[in-house]
Amino acid sequence: MENTISTELDEVSVSAKRTKQKRNGTPRENAILAGKITGKTLFYIFLAALCVLFLFPVVWMIANSMKTKEEIDSAMNTFWTFLPSARPANWFQAYGKMFTAYTYFGRSIFNSFLYCGITILAMLVLNSLAGYALTRIVFPGHKVITTIILLLLIVPVETSVVSTYVLLSALGLTRGEASILGYLITGFVSPMYIFMFRSYFMGIPKELEEAAYIDGCGKLRTFFQVIVPCCKPVFATVAIFTFMGQWNEYVFAQLMFSGRQDLMPLQVFLQLVQKGTDASGDMSVTMAALTFGTIPIAIVYIFCQKYIVEGVAFSGLK
Amino acid sequence: MQDVHTASGSEPRNILPQKPKKPKKAYFKLFGTSYKKNDSLVGIGFILPACVLGILFIFVPIAISLTYAFTDMDFTDVGIRPPHFIGFENFRIMFAEDKIIWKALGNTFLFVVVAVPVQLAVALGLALILNMKKLRCNTFFRWAFFMPVMLSLAVTSFLWINLVSRTGLVTVMLEKIGFNMDKLLLENPNTAMGVIIFVSVWQGAGYQMLIFLSGLKNIPPELYEAASLDGASPAKMFLSITLPAIKPTFSFVAVTTLIGAFKLITQPMIMTQGGPDNSTYTMSYFIYDRARNGGKGLGYSSAVAFFYTIVMATIALVLRKLTSGDNTEAK
Repeated sequence: MENTISTELDEVSVSAKRTKQKRNGTPRENAILAGKITGKTLFYIFLAALCVLFLFPVVWMIANSMKTKEEIDSAMNTFWTFLPSARPANWFQAYGKMFTAYTYFGRSIFNSFLYCGITILAMLVLNSLAGYALTRIVFPGHKVITTIILLLLIVPVETSVVSTYVLLSALGLTRGEASILGYLITGFVSPMYIFMFRSYFMGIPKELEEAAYIDGCGKLRTFFQVIVPCCKPVFATVAIFTFMGQWNEYVFAQLMFSGRQDLMPLQVFLQLVQKGTDASGDMSVTMAALTFGTIPIAIVYIFCQKYIVEGVAFSGLK
Repeated sequence: MQDVHTASGSEPRNILPQKPKKPKKAYFKLFGTSYKKNDSLVGIGFILPACVLGILFIFVPIAISLTYAFTDMDFTDVGIRPPHFIGFENFRIMFAEDKIIWKALGNTFLFVVVAVPVQLAVALGLALILNMKKLRCNTFFRWAFFMPVMLSLAVTSFLWINLVSRTGLVTVMLEKIGFNMDKLLLENPNTAMGVIIFVSVWQGAGYQMLIFLSGLKNIPPELYEAASLDGASPAKMFLSITLPAIKPTFSFVAVTTLIGAFKLITQPMIMTQGGPDNSTYTMSYFIYDRARNGGKGLGYSSAVAFFYTIVMATIALVLRKLTSGDNTEAK
């Protein structure tokens, strides 16, 4: 369908050009042109409707986070449901409530950032070193490991989240603060990112490393002072992807921290907020929490869209 | 370590051509250790941390789930109950007695069969629209379609719970149009899965759209110019230029989306907990729920997990085989 529309659009411009050239179109041509313009209008109306479909829940979420319970309920039937409170004094009351009613809400945001930071750091160091070893250094087991990684990329093994939990509890990493380590350590290694690093490193000319080697650089120093600065894009991509994955992670965190409010990351904490809403009927606090929880990831998307697209294309097609 | 490298800096590969006259072996014997051996040690040192963690948290859990599948292990209030070997009992229950697991498998396939094609079609359609040269407000439309992707799965799920709740906007609107809303969408076994499918497509389409769009942008415009000089119709151009050009992107995105769909868990976990009437149990959530919330326990859950991993692995392998031609083209 889109195709016919694009055809129409192209033809509109073509006939528009013709009209310009001839100065005056015949009545028949003008009629066709008018039809095309109507088609164009209809097309934009269709696009606008699509936009509404994609945007209304988000707008509704933000608008309702800036109202009181009474304002939300009275406006639900009308267009006002998409607008924030008429009184600016009420705009941030839900956000205030969110922090006072839930002692650990601020802590959960801090936790989310902490978990993301640790994971990104570990992910970058461990996987890039492994990827580098598989690219440039010949050692026994080199081939076996590469094959296993490729296999892991193909075979999905995510059903084992519960067995991971059992393993962690056997290691004593599910109780108290140790559960933070248990929660994070399982996410430090990713076959996909090792593979991504490896593909990227393969494109770096060997001469660079050889030059460093002649200058007396050890492998580790070569890696950190020559390879890493050359490969900033792949590091950025992996960091961004890790941030998105870790920030949005829900299932495993829910399993690990269900009893500990003070350790929960934001995504899991949202569940407590929703429970509060179910009890009180006040939607505004949940909406405020959802909006608040989206801001950091939205910032990442807005500023890093280029890397995200390139990263996906890279990981998938090389 | 560094000294050895400095000393072995005269390794033949790296220096000017006159030196390699010396027998190669001499260079591997510096300071008593062969250079090559040292190289291996560095390599192993680089990969060891990743390997240890990988084995511990990828392979051991698989082994655990394979072993526990033959036991009656379970979580209790005091910890994990020690396992007893019970042979193939879990598998017998799974195939002969448990009705819900087949319901869950059916639901998962329903989700895959409906959500994946719809999502891919929507994403490709949007990408084609955004790729039109004459389109106005291009950036606005792109951000609008991409907006839901910024919400995480958890945020999306909680948001839609509120949208379809008794006082939520969608319920109120549907009532206004004249639908009978005595049973809420998520409480009705006929519509609950539909909501989950809709929400998933709504949230995910923008992401694939972005990938398709980058694929479309990579098509050289000269191809279209040449084709239009030859008098090809736009439909013909779409079929003969656009489609073949984005086929590798498409098959990659399709496979990833499909495998992701088979793993669907967050939305049913938050929105419906498998209900109403088990209509939104998916396999991943079933495995998780059986292990956590009792019933037949961890051993049984492991058996199901093992079974489902085999199902998924088979599907994934078949898919890769089918699309492998496309991926080599992309190289």
